Amino acid sequence: MKRVAVTGVGVVAPCGIGKEVFWNNIKQGKSFVSPINRFDASRYPSRIAGQIKDLNSYSNFSPRLLRKIDDFSHMSLIAADLALKDANLDLSKEDPLRVGIFMGNALGGWLYAETELRDLYIEGRDGVSPYLASAWFPAAPQGQISIYYGIKGYSKTVVADRASSLMAIDYATNIIKKGKVDIALAGGTEAPITPYALLCCSTYGSLSTRNEHPQCAYRPFDKSRDGFVIGEGAGILILEDIEHARKRGAYIYALITGLGVTSDGFDRIEPDPNGTGLIRAIRLALSEAGYPPCDIDYICADGAATRWGDVSETKAIKKVFSECSQIPPVSAPKSMFGNLLGASGSVDLIITLLAMENALIPPTINLRVSDPECDLDYVPHKSRSKEVKRALVISRGRGGINAVLAVERVDRG
Amino acid sequence: MNIEERIREIMVKLLNVKPGEITPHANLENDLGMDSTEIVEMTVALEKAFGIQIDDGEITKNQSIGDVVELVHHRVK
Repeated sequence: MKRVAVTGVGVVAPCGIGKEVFWNNIKQGKSFVSPINRFDASRYPSRIAGQIKDLNSYSNFSPRLLRKIDDFSHMSLIAADLALKDANLDLSKEDPLRVGIFMGNALGGWLYAETELRDLYIEGRDGVSPYLASAWFPAAPQGQISIYYGIKGYSKTVVADRASSLMAIDYATNIIKKGKVDIALAGGTEAPITPYALLCCSTYGSLSTRNEHPQCAYRPFDKSRDGFVIGEGAGILILEDIEHARKRGAYIYALITGLGVTSDGFDRIEPDPNGTGLIRAIRLALSEAGYPPCDIDYICADGAATRWGDVSETKAIKKVFSECSQIPPVSAPKSMFGNLLGASGSVDLIITLLAMENALIPPTINLRVSDPECDLDYVPHKSRSKEVKRALVISRGRGGINAVLAVERVDRG
Repeated sequence: MNIEERIREIMVKLLNVKPGEITPHANLENDLGMDSTEIVEMTVALEKAFGIQIDDGEITKNQSIGDVVELVHHRVK
């Protein structure tokens, strides 16, 4: 079976576009959550988010193209461009049939859709833009990236709520392992800060309503947590058959060594409070990776900041790692910039790879008084120096979706 | 403003190109890079601007700006 390496990362997030700016902000433990100001959100229970304020200044894409696509495709195009540059990979020199694209998102491109539908039904316009059909649908980012770069290999879009992008990375990894493509662009994108999308998220009942204090609203594992904060952005990684990567002398961040995916079969919103499904997912990922729990140096947590999300995640980690003398540090860096929903897993994986590269674990912010049932080392407030060779990334979605990815740093001589 | 000028104005706005690129010989697909959806957009814009009816398939990607001008001229008469 082929082995799969990560050779490039591209991130578009509220705390920075491009890995250098992103990492510099992440390691400082600052919040990038602010009041929603791009539309009147005064009637929404949660009116705060991690917002990207300067997307267009980073974009080289033509106004003619941007008129036809939603922001979630735009962000994914920028992330793909950054990831390819980071991987020093020129796709025009590769066989397009051996390149694939695997993208996740939870919501689709709602800004484009709802603007058109509002004009149609409320403003009384005769029709909608002919681009509506191709702008809003969940596979639009996959299509736009494949058109832009002429990618013609096995590709897929995964929709699995907040676990979408981690599952897209899993899918890409398996397709490379099977030898169907040599290179995959894999990750996720999400643009939930629109009137309708925010309404959908609000009906979760899982969003923080601490609107008066946006920067300290998202408090995973804290006793006073009241839900997560949404954010927008995209994270794309370049995955390669390791032999292909080595042949072209690519820098290798890490290997994708295992993935476990399970379902709770419990509730439409909440996870199983005992974390039973997550326990199985962690064990499956470790089993595929082929190493015991005690070899893990860091866990990048889902950190839902809901009672059952936090408690079940903590319980699952404690159960799996009970045999270890010390449970590895667990942090939820998304507390700084919001939960990017369908893009959260891929951005968490990028954070984990940068943590490995820099031997520095980014913190969970706003954790002042831990929930008594959440008693792990969550790396509160400040980044911590630590060598990270092997790590897990946890991503969970509504309806009891659990995805866990294992990654391992490649030692460089 | 005559028909040619109005069509040029419509195309410049639609495609975000310079007026000089909208020449009679410019091919809609090869020179202006138009896709089928942009052809639909252009058709709707021409119908509105000139108060005419253009059927589906009357304007195709392999036509030129000159062909479009001729069609509109003919229809306006």
